[in-house]
Amino acid sequence: MSTPSVCLNHINVGHPEQWILNDINLIVEPGHFLGIVGPNGAGKSTLLHAIAGLIEPDTGHIDLFGECLSRFNRRKLLAQTGFLSQKQETPSMLPMRVRDVVALGLATYPAPLWNFSRHETKVKQALALTDTEALAERDYRSLSGGQQQRVRLARALATSPRLLLLDEPAAALDTHAQELLYRLLRRMCDEQGTAIIMVEHDIAAISGYVDSVACLNTRIHHHAMHGETIPEEVWHTMYGDHMHVVAHDSHCIGCHDQHKNAGDA
Amino acid sequence: MSGFFASEVMRAALFPSTLIAIVASGMSVMILAHRLAFLAVGVSHATLAGLGLAVVLALPLLPTAAATAVIVSLMLASMPRHRGLNDDAGTGVLFAGAMALGIVLLSTASKYEVDLFGLLFGNILMASERDQYWLMWGSSIVMISLIWAARPWWSIAFDAKTAAASGLPVHLYRLLLYAMVGLSVVMCVKLAGIVLTTGLLVLPAACAWFWGRGLFGLWLISLLISLTGTWLGLFLSYILDWPSGATVVLTLCAFFGLSWAGSWLNQSIFGGSPQRIFD
Repeated sequence: MSTPSVCLNHINVGHPEQWILNDINLIVEPGHFLGIVGPNGAGKSTLLHAIAGLIEPDTGHIDLFGECLSRFNRRKLLAQTGFLSQKQETPSMLPMRVRDVVALGLATYPAPLWNFSRHETKVKQALALTDTEALAERDYRSLSGGQQQRVRLARALATSPRLLLLDEPAAALDTHAQELLYRLLRRMCDEQGTAIIMVEHDIAAISGYVDSVACLNTRIHHHAMHGETIPEEVWHTMYGDHMHVVAHDSHCIGCHDQHKNAGDA
Repeated sequence: MSGFFASEVMRAALFPSTLIAIVASGMSVMILAHRLAFLAVGVSHATLAGLGLAVVLALPLLPTAAATAVIVSLMLASMPRHRGLNDDAGTGVLFAGAMALGIVLLSTASKYEVDLFGLLFGNILMASERDQYWLMWGSSIVMISLIWAARPWWSIAFDAKTAAASGLPVHLYRLLLYAMVGLSVVMCVKLAGIVLTTGLLVLPAACAWFWGRGLFGLWLISLLISLTGTWLGLFLSYILDWPSGATVVLTLCAFFGLSWAGSWLNQSIFGGSPQRIFD
């Protein structure tokens, strides 16, 4: 059995009176595509931030590629991960070409300031993967929100990461671009063995592509594998009793059994 | 022109001014990229406390001012994030406090005949050999840091969160950047004084922003503008008999106006993208 890409052991973040994350245990193997769903304020982004080393859990520990993430090996382990946040903290005002933005993904170490194009091949590959080759010479500031999101994804892919952490990567994309993105991510899992953890709101949109879905609201209420049903009680626990589950697609992880039962009836 | 080069004072001012112009051109790109213009204003005014301390305790002016500026910059880099204050508020507090301390210290030391005008508005023509020695050390440290850390600094300026998630020690690089801003400020104080230093540290990159694209392109244009502005400013100050620091800053301001106008003309009349000119 291969070493898990991510192993979360009893992760707690926050205070006992009000946990943001409570006793999170999760294993993600190489090539596994995990979707995380949950309501606003459920701790989805916090969980990604903890795995990306942006915040330290109050208790518990995180193993990446079989090694415990600590301040001593942080740089080595995180260099093998790609991270895409929901949006940039502040919109970039730097005058940069798109290909230079992608090359920034490779700028995690000191190097002469004129040496930006030494990884031209990797930059081109990342641009090709995200279908942004045509934008390579454009000024990043002149792109639309969706285009910028694709370029930022290319930046995350430039290092050929073993683990990808994505926080609502499709938020600014149109339906067609969303589908292309999910297909690309699925292909990366299958062909390159990349492990992916992706936070999304819309379980219906991702259920055809992911291997499993974790339902998170402070703690993981349910971890459903592909073809497994998420019980209605779980939805009610996470979103409240007003939640009404409608079966729409037998391939959707959440609706699998409901759809079958509806068909039987 | 020949009179300018015949003047021993002006010739002696050329070397330190050129050093300062080179340092200012590189740091100004980072100051604009990280939105630290107000920090530069705050630190430059805070150096008055260091200068006051140096005068009262009879310490060498530039090294004491440099140490103060670096300490103030590092305090600003650490203080706001841990206490919930934003950078602007932290800068405002230290700016006012250090400036007030400097004024009090200097007022008690009036018998030492402090050149207050030189401190406030700069006097590169009076740079001593010791000053030049310190300027050489300071510029070497800043330039080595700049060349070594430019890529990570640029990456952090683009998106600090993503840079941190890729394993970059963002806080350490930020501390180094703030310390280098402090050191650059003290060097520029010698040429432009406390009041006008920000001009040297903002204007070259502000001009370059209209024309350059990418870190290296911006840095080259900034260097060109900084050197030309400094030399032309010194020359004009000689023939017009104006204060050197203020004339250099005015020249850089004129370059900024021309860049702005040129960029506007290029875009609105010729429909061009100014950044394409210097890729």
